[in-house]
Amino acid sequence: MTVQAMLNPTPLKLRVRAIETLTPSLKRLSLASADGKALPPAPPGSHLTLALPLDSGRTRSYSIVSPADERDAYSLIVRHAQRSRGGSAYIHHRLAVGDLVESAVPTSQFSLHSLARKHLLIGGGIGLTPLISFLHELRSRSRSFELHQICRPDEADAFRHILEPFAGPDIYLYTGRAGLDLQAIMGRQPLGSHLYACGPEPLMAAVEAAATNVGWPANALHQESFGASGGAPFIVRLARSGRDVAVGEDETLLEALEAAGANPPALCRGGACGECITGVVDGVPDHRDHFLSGNEKASGRWVMPCVSRAKTDLLTLDL
Amino acid sequence: MSDQGIKSRPSYRPLTLDRTGRRHLLVSDGTTTAGVFAADTTTQDFDERWTISGQHSPLLLPRCAGEKKGVIGSAHVQPSDPIFRDETDLIATLDRRLKTEQIGLRLYATGAEPFLWRVMAVATEAGMGRDEVRLFAGRLGPRRVYCNHCGAIAEGVVANVATCPGCQAALFVRDHFSRRLNAFAGVKIDAEVPGDIPAIEVLYA
Repeated sequence: MTVQAMLNPTPLKLRVRAIETLTPSLKRLSLASADGKALPPAPPGSHLTLALPLDSGRTRSYSIVSPADERDAYSLIVRHAQRSRGGSAYIHHRLAVGDLVESAVPTSQFSLHSLARKHLLIGGGIGLTPLISFLHELRSRSRSFELHQICRPDEADAFRHILEPFAGPDIYLYTGRAGLDLQAIMGRQPLGSHLYACGPEPLMAAVEAAATNVGWPANALHQESFGASGGAPFIVRLARSGRDVAVGEDETLLEALEAAGANPPALCRGGACGECITGVVDGVPDHRDHFLSGNEKASGRWVMPCVSRAKTDLLTLDL
Repeated sequence: MSDQGIKSRPSYRPLTLDRTGRRHLLVSDGTTTAGVFAADTTTQDFDERWTISGQHSPLLLPRCAGEKKGVIGSAHVQPSDPIFRDETDLIATLDRRLKTEQIGLRLYATGAEPFLWRVMAVATEAGMGRDEVRLFAGRLGPRRVYCNHCGAIAEGVVANVATCPGCQAALFVRDHFSRRLNAFAGVKIDAEVPGDIPAIEVLYA
C-alpha cells in the first residue's frame, strides 16, 4: 500500500523541527509544515496519523498537544511503548530533526462538549496528551474545569514540566493511583459537568465504577483508552472468503486483518470513532472499545477490530 | 387533525425511577392524580416530593394525605415534601436548588404540560441533560401557542384554531412543539388559500 493510499485524501508534508527528551521514555516532537504554508487547524482532541517508513506499512496515530490556533507546527508527545509495535520505537530511536514525514489532516473523535457547565479531565500517564489540547481550549476560553492526572513517581518532574503552562489550583498531579479518590472527586461536581478520561484500561474501569456509584449520566462520560492491545492469540475467519487469519498476541485484530489484505475502514484506531465496526457471524468478541453501547456489546453482533479481540479461539467476521 | 404526525410532539410515559441516579427529586403541580407512576415505582422511591398548594385535585403525596391542604409551614409538612405557594414559587426555588446541586440527581416532573416544560427549562439551564429528567403529563390539556408571525403567546388554547393576542391573526395550532419556547407553533390558518378556514374543533380541553 502506498503512503498516498493510507492517508487519503492528500497527505500533509511535515518536517521534524525539534525533538525534546522529557524522560527516557517520553519525547515531544514538533512537526512543522514542510512548505511553510499554514497547516490545517487541529481541533481539541485531534490526533495526527503519521505514515512512518515501517516495514508493516501501517500508520500510527498520536494526540496533538499544541493549541488549535497554532498553524505552523503540530506538537506530539510520544511514549516509547514497552512492547512497541514499531511506531514509538521508530520515533524514539530513528526519527531525527530535519526528517520529512507525511500525515493525514488532523481529525478529532474526542471533543469537548461545548454546553457543559464544567469539564472534569482525568488522565493516566501518557493519556494526558489529548487532555492537553483540551487545556489550551479551556484556559483560553476561561471555562470551569479540573484536571486530575496520575503519573509514575519517577516521571513527576516531567509531568510538572508539561503542565507548567497551565498551572493553577484546578490542576492536580498524583504519583500513583492511591491519592486519587475518584468517587469523591466525581461526586462533588456540579450538575451539567462532563467527564473526559484517557488512560490505561484499569483507570478507565475505575472511572466507570465511580461513575456508576455517583450516578454520573452516561452521555456526560467520554473515554479514550489506549494500550492493552494484546492478549491471547486467536483465529479470525473471514466468512465471505472462508479464509482464516491468525491474530498474534502482540498485534491487534485490525492489524492482522490489514496484514492479510482485508482492509476494513478504520480511522481513530482507539475504539472511539466507530469507523471500523464489523459484523460478527460466530464466536464471542472481547469488547474493549468505547463506541458500542452496553446492549450492543452484549448482543455480540458487532466488534471494533481496532481494539477488541475474541474470547473464543475462533471469531468469524462478516468480511 | 388531532394527530398531525409531527415528531416534535412530546410523548409521555408514566414515571419510572431511573435507578442509575443517586438522589431523586419529584416535582408536581398537583393537577395529575392518577397513572403517574409505572408499576415498579411509588412516591416512596423519591427522596423529595415538591408540590403546589391549593390545587383543585388532592395532593399527589400519600404522606400528606389527610393533612390540611395548602397550609404552608404546617408542622405536618416534612422538609422533604415542601408545599409551594404557586408554580412560580416552586420553579424559582427549583432554579436556585439545581444551580447548587451535584451530579447524580435525577429530576421528575408531573402535571400540566406547560408546567413540565418550565421545569425542563430550569433543569436545562442548570446543565441537566434529557437523560436526567423525566416528565409525565397525565392529561394533555390546553396549549400554549406561539404565533409564528408576531411572536406573541396565546395561553390556554383548547381548539384547533386560536386568535393571536398580539396580531389578531387566526392561527392554526400545529403539533409542532418547541421545547425552548414551551409552546406549540401557530400559523395563519388561511395563509395558503385566503378564506379557507376549517371547522373549529375543541381538541385540547
